[in-house]
Amino acid sequence: MSLNHTLRIATDVGGTFTDLVFLRTGTDGTQRIGTAKSDSTPPDFEQGVMDVIVQAEVDAAEFDFFAHGTTVIINALTERKGAKTALITTEGFRDVLEIARGNRPDFFNLDYRKPEPFVPRYLRREVPGRISYKGREMKPLDLSGLPLILNDFKAEGVEAVAVCFINAYADPAHEIATVDRIKELWPGIAVVASHQISREWREYERTNTTVLSAYVKPTARHYLDRLTKRLADDGMKGTPYIMQSNGGVDTVAGAREIPITMVESGPASGVWGAAALGGIIGEPNVIALDIGGTTAKCSLIADGRIQINTNYMVERTPTSAGYPVMVPVVDLVEIGNGGGSIAWVDEFRKLHVGPRSAGAMPGPVSYGKGGTEATTTDANLALGRINADYFCGGTITTNIDGVHQALDRLASQLACDRRQAARGIVRIANNNMVNAIKLVSVNRGHDPRDFTLVAFGGGGAMHACSLAKELSIRKVVIPKQSAVFSAWGMLMCDIRRDFILTRIVDMTSENASRTLTDILLGLEKRALTEYKAEDIDAARVGFTRFGRFRYQNQEHSVEVRMPDGDISPALIASICDAFHEDYEREYTYRLDAPVELVGFHLVATAEVGKIDPERLAQTGKTMADAEKSRRELDFAEDGVHESVVYNGDLLEPGMTFAGPAVIEESGTTVVVLPGMNGRVDEFGNIHIQTVTQRG
Amino acid sequence: MDSKYDHITTEIIQSSVQAAADEMFAAMRRTAMSAIIYEVLDMGTGITDAHGELAGSGAGIPTFVGMLDKAVRRIRSRFGSTDQNASSQPHYHVINPGDVFAVNDPYQGGVTHLNDIILARPVFAGSRMVAWTANAAHWNDVGGCMPGSMSTDATDIFQEGLTLPAIKLFRNDRPVSSVMDLLAANSRMPDFLFGDLWAGVAALRVGERRIHELISRYGADAFTHALEKYQEYGEQVSLKALSGLPPDRFAMKEEQDNGQVFEVTVTITPEKFEVDLRHNPPQDSGPYNLSLDGTTVAAQMVFKSVTSPQGVCNGGTFRPLRVLTRPGTIFEPLHPAAMGFYYETRIRLLDLIWKALATRMPDRLPAGHFGSICGTMIGGIHPDTGRQYSVIEPEMGGWGGSSRGDGNGAQFSACHGETYNCPAEITEMRNGIVVRQYALNPEPGGDGQHRGGRGVVIDYQIRSPEAWLTAAYTRASVPPWPLRGGEHGTANRICILRHDGGIEHHTQITGLPLTTGDVVRIITANGAGWGSPRRRDPGKIADDLRDGYVTPDHAGHVYGYESRLLSEKL
Repeated sequence: MSLNHTLRIATDVGGTFTDLVFLRTGTDGTQRIGTAKSDSTPPDFEQGVMDVIVQAEVDAAEFDFFAHGTTVIINALTERKGAKTALITTEGFRDVLEIARGNRPDFFNLDYRKPEPFVPRYLRREVPGRISYKGREMKPLDLSGLPLILNDFKAEGVEAVAVCFINAYADPAHEIATVDRIKELWPGIAVVASHQISREWREYERTNTTVLSAYVKPTARHYLDRLTKRLADDGMKGTPYIMQSNGGVDTVAGAREIPITMVESGPASGVWGAAALGGIIGEPNVIALDIGGTTAKCSLIADGRIQINTNYMVERTPTSAGYPVMVPVVDLVEIGNGGGSIAWVDEFRKLHVGPRSAGAMPGPVSYGKGGTEATTTDANLALGRINADYFCGGTITTNIDGVHQALDRLASQLACDRRQAARGIVRIANNNMVNAIKLVSVNRGHDPRDFTLVAFGGGGAMHACSLAKELSIRKVVIPKQSAVFSAWGMLMCDIRRDFILTRIVDMTSENASRTLTDILLGLEKRALTEYKAEDIDAARVGFTRFGRFRYQNQEHSVEVRMPDGDISPALIASICDAFHEDYEREYTYRLDAPVELVGFHLVATAEVGKIDPERLAQTGKTMADAEKSRRELDFAEDGVHESVVYNGDLLEPGMTFAGPAVIEESGTTVVVLPGMNGRVDEFGNIHIQTVTQRG
Repeated sequence: MDSKYDHITTEIIQSSVQAAADEMFAAMRRTAMSAIIYEVLDMGTGITDAHGELAGSGAGIPTFVGMLDKAVRRIRSRFGSTDQNASSQPHYHVINPGDVFAVNDPYQGGVTHLNDIILARPVFAGSRMVAWTANAAHWNDVGGCMPGSMSTDATDIFQEGLTLPAIKLFRNDRPVSSVMDLLAANSRMPDFLFGDLWAGVAALRVGERRIHELISRYGADAFTHALEKYQEYGEQVSLKALSGLPPDRFAMKEEQDNGQVFEVTVTITPEKFEVDLRHNPPQDSGPYNLSLDGTTVAAQMVFKSVTSPQGVCNGGTFRPLRVLTRPGTIFEPLHPAAMGFYYETRIRLLDLIWKALATRMPDRLPAGHFGSICGTMIGGIHPDTGRQYSVIEPEMGGWGGSSRGDGNGAQFSACHGETYNCPAEITEMRNGIVVRQYALNPEPGGDGQHRGGRGVVIDYQIRSPEAWLTAAYTRASVPPWPLRGGEHGTANRICILRHDGGIEHHTQITGLPLTTGDVVRIITANGAGWGSPRRRDPGKIADDLRDGYVTPDHAGHVYGYESRLLSEKL
């Protein structure tokens, strides 16, 4: 860290814009947060990063911490712009990638199209050799055919090779030997083996994950190398940290090796931000809600912990099976409901909102960029929730006539008036989001009333109070950095790696305590070895252990926290008790059946320096000083009320207010329902107590 | 303010009912004990109105969702509509809050076979019954003459296990212990039975909770109004689609593997879709009978697929559908005809109606698929744990080509949907068998301008003595049917490669003894072709050659590949 001050940077590359947030802490503890935005520059995205650094007027030589999130990986996948990839797998299993799981989500459609595998059949080759499910060698690996296979791959212009063998999750020896031999025979080729990414069973999911990782590896390597070089050329002393899908960052070296773990990094940093904010303001139980232009995402944080799972899917829709990516991803539900989601009426006069979105171009009708179909944002504008004279901080002149025309068209199809159409849009959008929040809370056995809703993104603050009321959530928090919250979250990240291992242990067996201890210590050793190779000292590394438990013969498991150190027989009993309890909370019953451990999940984190957020000054101004005007606001089911409009930029700690009210900031608008009360905390976050009006 | 029946409230209730069915599905899947439920997803969840009409499309395999309304209606008729007295008169024959009912009798609302248990729970607003939450799932063993309760040799339903003719399983949200004891005593796998039962109950509770939330938010009247409106909407969507089909009447006959002939006459008008099955063989002396309700489900599946495959599906959807049958035939058997393998007859029927329609509208529907559930059951003692294991799974096969392109390879039958195969790695650990190969079927067949997709070849090697195999595959001799001059697909069958070198072929077998080292080779059919192979794009033929889907010889003979390339060059 610099002697006189510290400078922490987060940059986030999106499809359209590249964002930057910096936090400068002076020697006297004063902080300044700054933001900048510039156009993304495909295909050379690193140029956009350099541009935004220039624009923010920060000097790379002063960077103490540089976190970076990018959509480069997910773009390469969805746009099919990755490398020509081949697969080497176990004899008898080359068609696993094409067979997939045999499912047909669009189940009444007799002409359903199965997703095409990322590796065509002629590039899927087999080698003899077999490991049993117990990790024992049943048939020795025979690599005598490998040179010919690789020659074929070279002749076909293959750029990356994936290796995935049956039961490699139990013992990866054959994969390791194969990768070593490939590197000898074909130095420099991008190669990924399944055990490097996942030690979980299910061969199709693991094979596909390995293939997708190989597919994006050359792209990722190229991109990260150029980015690192450009930053070094500009004088940056350290190396960047790369945002991962598990809510942590990783080193460039780690991300370069297994790039697929970046796949969902954008949403992950927002969820992590909500957890970190919860820690600062003393709210360990949080539902994070991010409402953007095209989607809304929500995730649950219980007891300060984000939830991770490994069943992420790319391109999964109600009419397509999609592609599984079995890497640790923050557990979130995403729905096609954002500010730009288009409202439409079907031929049977039913109103729908989304999932089609007006996107950045043409955007909502109100933007006046050629949009003609009413969106959620347009409905909010028509209801007076958004200030037509202060739209996007006054940077856009609102096309209010266009909004009225678009709403009138819907109204005539619905046989109602304009206001009812607008209310309908907002209510349906809200209900879609309520159902999404239920999926991450009540559906997992958590009562929303025990949680605080942290809302961010462009539309989060607009809808949060209505959603909270619907779900009986008692408190809503709108972060000070609501508009750039994902990047703020990235500034708060630790280095994090999740080690997940499928292994069945009968918890009633005598040696359960020995087995658990050995495996956990083995995983911790592996984590320390990996970190050490990247000069991260063991003293900085912290572990959190989880086990995945189920009743014998079940398949899906419940994750339970496990204690540090040796697992004594007494601890085995208390772990089982915790499982019974968690299971009953989630599923309403418990069984008198043997408990089985099916997998280990070790979280290994290394701190990279924490920010202590600045407490804002109080100048003695009152809430009345922040009052801008009053206007009539339509709260849909909660009626039409004259509401006070506050200038959010003038809020100071300690100020309080009561709904109906609107707080306008440059990036977002907070809508406060009648009967709700708010206050500004010492960091500038807005806390709103919702009053439950129904019994 | 809006009236209490405003459009938007109605729509919010409708979409929330659908979300509740999805939640029920997720809860049940995560807690089930049997692989056939949690992995194969041989299950469905849904919500009906108070009368037992499906309120939404439910979640899971549509053929399972299609059982729920029929079961609830049976419970209602058996227990009477005494809900008015419900709170004051708690009695066994009264439907009360906190009850859970179970049905599996195919003659009385159970629809399929005794293994499929439907659980249903009434939902009350005060003393008024407003809805039911229900689910159906395949239980591993409900007694009967064979492990797994299914035998191709069964001659009446009593040999297929314990019949539950709509019984009360829970009272006041607590199990009726005598009934639970009876269930346990009649299953070879009571631990699995209870695990799966509780998973179903948990799902019912989830659904009930959601409905209660909706009622407390919007009121019972708005809730029931929304369900009524939703069914009207379902009916409108179907009628609109019917009016887009040409009015027509046509018949289709098809010979079955056993030489019998099945026959259907379909009549389409703007108001109705009639499936006449009155001229069909007498009921089967074995377990291949399809109950009247099961026959209706098959017709519903095809009806929905040709009218509006995406979007709303509820009780109203099927109002324009008429199904005509004759008692004592295979499509309306009389008690006590056996039903264990009903599903092969059901997919034969579904496939026949599909073929009848596709022949009239070959650009709208694909050519025939492998057309069998290919239900495969393997059991024995796990060589490493010493515990009983049982594989119970349908198999994937090839689908037919269509006007849009080649058929999919390795996909479960038209009676399935969100059905997943069991990964080889899980099969090996759970059952102690070795999966030797998991491949696409390389044999020729199903050629066409758009060719059929590939079936599968799966080898399961047995690792312990005294194992057994039960299976019943159809489309074993009459192959999948082509369209517009395409070629037929191939056949479904099982090959046993004995450890001593012997080879056997089977399509219908019960309790075949297997021992250490024997390999069960499952082979499923390639789908049929659409259009003449001679019209296939040469670029696609080149891809098929490169990918090893056709041999050069086959490409020359059937597709005329070389001669066509030559003539194109000239």
